[in-house]
Amino acid sequence: MSFLLGVARAIDKVTGFVGRIMWWASLFMVVVGVYNVVTRYFYGFFELLLGPRTAANMTGNLFLELQTYSFDLIFLLGAAYVLRVDGHVRVDILYSNLPARRKAIVDTVCYWLFLVPFALLGIIYSVPYISRSWATLEVSPNPGGLARYPIKTAIAVAFGMLILQAISETIHNIAFLSGRKGSGSVHEAPPAPMEVDGTAGGVSGPAGASSGAEPGAAAPGGDPA
Amino acid sequence: MLGLWMFAVVVGLLLIGFPVAFTLGGTAVLFTVLGSNFTEVFLGFALPWEPAFNVARLNILPQRIFGTIMDNYTLVAVPFFVFMGVMLERSGLAEELLESMGMLFGKLRGGLAISVVVVGALLAASTGVVGASVVTLGVLALPVMLKYGYSKTLATGVVASSGTLGQIIPPSIVLVILGDQIGVSVGDLFLGSFIPGFLLAGLFIAWVAFVAWRRPNEAPALPPEARALTGWRLVAKILRSLVPPLVLVMLVLGTIFFGIATPTEAGAAGAAGATILAALNRRLTRRNLLDTMDTTVRLTSMVFIILVGATAFSMVFTALGGGHVVDEFLLNLPGGHIGFMFFTMLVIFLLGFFIDFIEITFIVVPLVAPIAARFFGADMLLWFGVVVAMNLQSSFLTPPFGFSLFYLKGVAPPGVKTTDIYRGIIPFVAIQVVTLVVLVLFPGLVNWLPSLAR
Repeated sequence: MSFLLGVARAIDKVTGFVGRIMWWASLFMVVVGVYNVVTRYFYGFFELLLGPRTAANMTGNLFLELQTYSFDLIFLLGAAYVLRVDGHVRVDILYSNLPARRKAIVDTVCYWLFLVPFALLGIIYSVPYISRSWATLEVSPNPGGLARYPIKTAIAVAFGMLILQAISETIHNIAFLSGRKGSGSVHEAPPAPMEVDGTAGGVSGPAGASSGAEPGAAAPGGDPA
Repeated sequence: MLGLWMFAVVVGLLLIGFPVAFTLGGTAVLFTVLGSNFTEVFLGFALPWEPAFNVARLNILPQRIFGTIMDNYTLVAVPFFVFMGVMLERSGLAEELLESMGMLFGKLRGGLAISVVVVGALLAASTGVVGASVVTLGVLALPVMLKYGYSKTLATGVVASSGTLGQIIPPSIVLVILGDQIGVSVGDLFLGSFIPGFLLAGLFIAWVAFVAWRRPNEAPALPPEARALTGWRLVAKILRSLVPPLVLVMLVLGTIFFGIATPTEAGAAGAAGATILAALNRRLTRRNLLDTMDTTVRLTSMVFIILVGATAFSMVFTALGGGHVVDEFLLNLPGGHIGFMFFTMLVIFLLGFFIDFIEITFIVVPLVAPIAARFFGADMLLWFGVVVAMNLQSSFLTPPFGFSLFYLKGVAPPGVKTTDIYRGIIPFVAIQVVTLVVLVLFPGLVNWLPSLAR
């Protein structure tokens, strides 16, 4: 069991690390977004200042696609992290009233009944699609656009990470159900939105209240009702 | 037939409480195994019944994920608006607004509740993030209202409903994903929902005023000692709290409305503007920035992984002939377009009790929008979208599964019971239904502003 918990912790580390990279991707996306706005609306100014060729190089599809790709990476590669912090919205009319052990059982069964089969299906069908893109080293059809094979690869990576995280959650839940404490399962820990190890730097907003904006973080612990 | 079963099964499975995105995807897999030649292709044995579709149809799944979700310029507006909303919430804007509005309206009976609606509408125009508005209003205004003798039902009702105004008053995340699903310009949708959104806020205020008039003890005026500032000092405070967010809102919405910027560009600029406002208020701490980024990642991933699951679900649903059955049914309802409208609105309203706007938008709306286009014409899709948005708005308030209610319960003082909240929102849900009917009867309320912009 302690070996398995080690595996789970390793998975959590990777997921948390990728999640934190996605935080910065969101900031990057805003910066690129603003850059796109500025270069589009003040194009004439840049043209005058730097000459038409430089101005043309500074704008265009490359930067628009950087913005779109950041968005893609955020929702795809962030998915496992969001699973880890229990941020995927649930219809929790019944669920929220279950005791923690029941929740752990429901989740564990559903990981293997719903999430893993779906992610496997996603991988089965996306791998040929992605390898076709790699075979031609596909590039965006938009002039000056980015390469497409890396971003398409993210589809399969996202599904793979979700499966890994489901394995980790299963280990945590089994440890929790078998009476081992300190396993850090979402069902055992009090609503602490940010427990991706200590290095995150004091991001620990009042649980549920402030960090739970919108449905997303609906009730980190599962039960505000 | 299997298609309809699929719909019934997914609603049942969603109630288990496993994350929606994966329940949708898992149901898609289940019905692929049951309804196609999946087992024959992958496992080497055939099921005892005739497969309804060829599993090769799923080959286009990754292309759908890439083409409709990932390679989609408009959807990028969603994380931008989330970023902007959370950052503004962190910038302390709501506190300032509530404080000054409370002082402005405080001497009126019901004035505090009216200021909650006004601030809710202003927050709505700047953020569009439901949880944030409800929590902020709940934490700041609810204890004050209760302290000065407001009835629990009115106080909770006004907070829960005002906090949801962000879904109908642009810029709103609901409107962005609705526009994407219906195939209407998001900018037009923003314009079209402008009047309905403020109409709704106006009706909320009218209701509060009515209660204060008929039942004064439920909504008393503030005693003079609670209104610290008067005269020019008050005006200065109001201006200080009101001008920065208003400028930001007008920039974001104005550039969209006048066709200067796309919603995505306006969202990026808004996110940056909110960050600057936070910095000016000395609230741009490392923690606020990290929290904003974290919430952006969580909400973005949550919404669009649901869209991935819903994409798989819809593909299998269509392959099973479900879409066709629904089309036939909706086209042949008694009463033609009236029957269609009534039935669709009723279903969305009722579904809103159990599942939230995201699933409805991704699963139900794509089924009904083409029928609406056939009944009312493609140019009425904009109106249809706003009506759906107004309907979805109620899903935040309808128990047992209304986000707004959850959030409010989470931050309400211990004396407030869930039943108080449930009773409190009844009149506000009724007002929303009335507004919905008004919009259906008077499409001009939606179409007028967009027609000016053209």
